[in-house]
Amino acid sequence: MKIHFDWRLARVVDDNCEVVDEIEWDGRITPSTIARRLGKIQSGRLLPEVSTLVERFPDAEIDKMGAINDPDWPQHDDEKDVFQMATVELAKMKVADSSGDIDRRLDMLVSSAVELRASWTTSEARCVEWAGLFITEADLDLQRSAIPRAIADSSKISDASDKLGVSPPKHEPSELEWNSMRSQAQFVVDTSSMLNQQEDAIREMASSHVPSLSALLGPISAAKLVVLAGGRERLARMPSGSLQVLGAHAAMSAHRRGAPPPKHGAVLFSMPQISRSPRWVRGKIARFLAGKASIAVRVDHFEGDPWSKKQVDEINKEINAIREKFPRPPKR
Amino acid sequence: MQYEKNSLGHPRGDFLASRHDKLGWGVKKQGRSLWTRNAVKGISVRGESRKREGRIEWRKWDPTRSKVAAALIRTSGDPSFLLPDPGSNCLYLGASIGGTVSHIHDIVCGADNHHGGQIVAVEISPRMVRDLASLSDSRSGLVPVMADARRPEEVAPFLSSKVDWIHQDLSIADQAETFLKICLSFLSPGGKSLLSLKAASERSSDGDDKSRFNKAERTLNESDLRLIERIDLRGMEEQHVLFVCEFNPTS
Repeated sequence: MKIHFDWRLARVVDDNCEVVDEIEWDGRITPSTIARRLGKIQSGRLLPEVSTLVERFPDAEIDKMGAINDPDWPQHDDEKDVFQMATVELAKMKVADSSGDIDRRLDMLVSSAVELRASWTTSEARCVEWAGLFITEADLDLQRSAIPRAIADSSKISDASDKLGVSPPKHEPSELEWNSMRSQAQFVVDTSSMLNQQEDAIREMASSHVPSLSALLGPISAAKLVVLAGGRERLARMPSGSLQVLGAHAAMSAHRRGAPPPKHGAVLFSMPQISRSPRWVRGKIARFLAGKASIAVRVDHFEGDPWSKKQVDEINKEINAIREKFPRPPKR
Repeated sequence: MQYEKNSLGHPRGDFLASRHDKLGWGVKKQGRSLWTRNAVKGISVRGESRKREGRIEWRKWDPTRSKVAAALIRTSGDPSFLLPDPGSNCLYLGASIGGTVSHIHDIVCGADNHHGGQIVAVEISPRMVRDLASLSDSRSGLVPVMADARRPEEVAPFLSSKVDWIHQDLSIADQAETFLKICLSFLSPGGKSLLSLKAASERSSDGDDKSRFNKAERTLNESDLRLIERIDLRGMEEQHVLFVCEFNPTS
């Protein structure tokens, strides 16, 4: 015996395709009510009529494809329009629901921060060089971080050189030129505060979305890994070897054409445990760390207890052990 | 009428001779361009050009942006075989924002769905469904579904019976296997199905583009579907081949 159903009718059918029992939905037919029922079926939950039939016929098996395969299934051509409107409503509801998906929100945040950082790096370098052209005595290394602010907050260039504690420039920029310079510096200042804001948001989101991975790699790196993998679930289901080379797309495709494999992707390399280690142990540490990161994200995704500092310290101790085991480069 | 046979044994119509013919209701080819009869007059879905002929408005169907349109131009058989009939029941997997879907809707449903057809358009990405749903607002008979096309049970609630025409256009690995699963679940006997196979989506371990296409062709040949034609879309859609199949479960 089988239970066949669609949004408006549920039926118990015996092995000879005879209808044994059926319940028709008697609710008010509106796009919203149908949309709700369709959503329920789509997410795998049972409609009340189906549950009732399950109680009446405990041996009957629910066949989700039954109604489609049944040539005698009643068609309701007069309800086609209201059904179509219901599907549009349901589609819009599901689109609205997608903002509840933390992976998507993290993707927006991380991508925005990455783009902003790229833009900040170029603009900041330009700002410093621009100021340095005029204010020749300023130390472009030691005073670097103070320069954009000093330019942005001054009404003329000699104010800026005063703020930096050096003598005024020999040649002054024209008024329009100075205004351009100042607003460019203001942009750099604004961008850095925006960047801090976004990175704070990433830290907050990653620490609750992937707490163990954040404890191991830091929240920003953890968030980047999740975004590169295309979501927490995909990262959790990924082999640790794939996680190890996330962010090394170019090197991976070169490897497919015969080049040696990459030791690590961009995200893992940004970890001091790897980038500060001698080059001959980097691959070993990357493999070890990727394995641990892979476990960490599985703990996070499959609702395990988040890792504490103690567990992370243990891992870092093992990384040090690997480094000490190979103090010298291998002989060629 | 005399037919030649193409490489797969399907009757080969002389497409050039029927250059000005309609390809069935609501579609026509004029010179090098394809047009469908616009179901929502005065509106272009993605900026395509429109033209008036008396009370009829035609909407240009760009073969470089639609794999079905490209296949209509490239097929060596009767192009009208590729299209669903007006008033039929269709399933479209990988609808995206509904560009191709809108042309199929022009044919199958027509203005205010006077043909009484239905086209169920499945798409997984919310960003695309957002546009697809607003398209469906003005096109009755077009059913937008946000679901994973690989899971037939997520699509089933939106179909009241099996369908006459399926087009699958998904960027996933194992496209041919998914296509088979979908056709066996949803295609009615005698129904037609098209598979747009994107080589770049298949696994790199399956070899180069050609061997990926051949692998898919083998999968289809070993199934209950009858493979009728393999259309290379190169020049209009790179790295794509469109397979045309028919479902004859008894044979």
